[in-house]
Amino acid sequence: MTTGRTLPDRPAAAGAALASLAIGLLAIGGGCAAPPPPAAPEVQAVWRDTIPEGPEEAAWQAIPKYTADLIPQDLVEPRLLKPSTPRLAVQAATDGTRVAFRLAWDDATQDERPGAARFTDACAIQLPQRTAPDLPDPQMGQAGRPVEITFWRATWQAAVAGRDDTIRSLYPGAVVDHYPFEAPPLQPGSEAQQAFATRYAPAAALGARREGPRDRPVEDLIGEGPGTLRPADKLLSEGTGRRTAKGWEVLIVRPLPNGLAPGGRSQIAFGVWDGAQAEAGARKMRSGWVPMSIEARGTQAGIAPRAAAGAQGGGR
Amino acid sequence: MARVFNWQIGREMSYWYPEARPKKQFAAIFDTNKCIACQTCTLACKTTWTSGRGQEYMLWNNVETKPYGFYPLGWDVRLMEKLGAQRWDGSRYEGRTLFEAAEAGERVLGWRPEEIDYAHPNVGEDDCTKTIDKGAHYHGFHEAWFYYLARICNHCTYPACLSSCPRASIYKRPEDGIVLIDQGRCRGYQECIKACPYKKTFFNPMTGTSEKCIACYPKIEQGLQPQCFVNCIGKIRMAGFISTPDQARPDNPIDYLVHIRKVALPLYPQLGLEPNVYYIPPRHVPRPYLAQMFGPGVDQAIAACNKSADDPDLSALLALFGSTEWVMPRWKRVGDTVMGLREDGRELVRVPVREPVWILKALDQARGVSRMNIT
Ligand code: SF4
Ligand code: SF4
Repeated sequence: MTTGRTLPDRPAAAGAALASLAIGLLAIGGGCAAPPPPAAPEVQAVWRDTIPEGPEEAAWQAIPKYTADLIPQDLVEPRLLKPSTPRLAVQAATDGTRVAFRLAWDDATQDERPGAARFTDACAIQLPQRTAPDLPDPQMGQAGRPVEITFWRATWQAAVAGRDDTIRSLYPGAVVDHYPFEAPPLQPGSEAQQAFATRYAPAAALGARREGPRDRPVEDLIGEGPGTLRPADKLLSEGTGRRTAKGWEVLIVRPLPNGLAPGGRSQIAFGVWDGAQAEAGARKMRSGWVPMSIEARGTQAGIAPRAAAGAQGGGR
Repeated sequence: MARVFNWQIGREMSYWYPEARPKKQFAAIFDTNKCIACQTCTLACKTTWTSGRGQEYMLWNNVETKPYGFYPLGWDVRLMEKLGAQRWDGSRYEGRTLFEAAEAGERVLGWRPEEIDYAHPNVGEDDCTKTIDKGAHYHGFHEAWFYYLARICNHCTYPACLSSCPRASIYKRPEDGIVLIDQGRCRGYQECIKACPYKKTFFNPMTGTSEKCIACYPKIEQGLQPQCFVNCIGKIRMAGFISTPDQARPDNPIDYLVHIRKVALPLYPQLGLEPNVYYIPPRHVPRPYLAQMFGPGVDQAIAACNKSADDPDLSALLALFGSTEWVMPRWKRVGDTVMGLREDGRELVRVPVREPVWILKALDQARGVSRMNIT
């Protein structure tokens, strides 16, 4: 994806193309960085007729950035005692039905291969299931007061990108002399073969496979307190993440929560896991609840720099 | 943390959950003196349960040569080093269990093996504690020694795996005490792998969940012994159910060997998990080493074992090992015959206490050949 992608419904198409070219040059120029997005005092989901499809899109350069300070999860065992990822940059955009979150954080190591004592880099957003002034506990919600969580992980991103579902894709030197389900007369890929293979993969048999081929790198979860996480009834969110020189940039797109309409306010919380620090589950860096506003069409605050706003079709 | 009673260490201890003993507790006895490290058990398990993708490295059952063999590498010594020197006072353990020694923020004192630690299951195999000099021979005491330690999940009364799981994905079946990981609930956090001191939970990188020995529960439910028991060439194993010491029954083979004759001992009881695989310790190994591994009952266990040939009941019960696929909840000796029985007393199997011995002449007259001692 190029940095200067233009959108078809742009009012001033020529100007937009020029502006995007300028941004592209700035990005390539190396010495001069693209203009930083404006800082935001809270998470501001700004209105966009079309929300960006990737975390790398130039559209994000005009969207205010909230910096969430992260603290170690040290309330329930197992705790994280050594702080790792200190902060997370959050941007958000809404088209009135969906809301997109771009999360970016520094992480020196790319941890995207599952294995014994290997842990994946990951991030998550959390919203109260009911939009109301009194919030459930920020630590995964509480009994009877659920939170909705969307979770992205690097191992899944690698699977979506096409990593083979073989042990050799994880351990290139692996030599396997025999899988019983690959022996004749079973035909490769046949139903009988799949059924036989599933006997040795009880998680897959239960439909709870945590690694392996998948079509999206995110999952939707419901929490009612620590240790209660369960899959949501429906997969609602989409996402994509990419590795940069400094760390990760992840886009999570989900429907606006129930009861939250454009112009409304709610709260959001974040979690980041650094695989290299053996972070998983409760061992994570997290935020408390952060106020979040959802912009309505036509009420844009007008804080976007002009050129970039033009490039993204915002600021109308 | 709750307070629970652990009879293996002779005292109450702290545990994450309150005491909730199952109706019956799966248990096993392994006679280390008979194991030949043929690994038939390992393969029996492998072919039955762990032949899938992502399970390649997993050995729910493994047999390692002690003192230098480990799977995964250094599983016990690394933990011992972390726990530090501790003390028994007779049969009461005065040191700290893994639950009591948990570091800040943790539920259990544990350590996490790296991938490479699983890569050499044969490390130390048949390594002796000393080089054998030319001309050395056995003269009643082994200066150089090793022995084989067969290991499965201990289906502990106080499992560290279970207590460490923040999602409560691991459960202990109330009907038989078998410890299982709910594959629908596990999210692959690998806490159990760090916590289990015996390293008997394994992360499957292709399913992203942790898996472990299931004591062949579909067989147990039918009254049958697990695969690694019935395939054991050395007939070193017996599966059954153990009572607490106060409920011990002499006609229960496991109770008889563990509680009444006290010839079978738990592995690293000081860790506090009340593991339910009991070992008849190797008779030729230095006692301090064994005491560290099997607790303070070692001298008594070996003394009883050494006299087993003149002990009609003990030798009879040992003859039942490997005699049937059925679990034998009861047993009985009648003269020179020993029987494995069902719960209701019906007979499952009967074997002679001593197999008849046939001595063949070195020279086969009929064929005009001399027999080698292996023919
Ligand atoms: S041996 Fe390990 S895996 Fe088995 S029950 Fe005990 S703690 Fe859990
Ligand atoms: S099958 Fe029996 S004798 Fe052979 S290694 Fe296993 S426990 Fe030892």
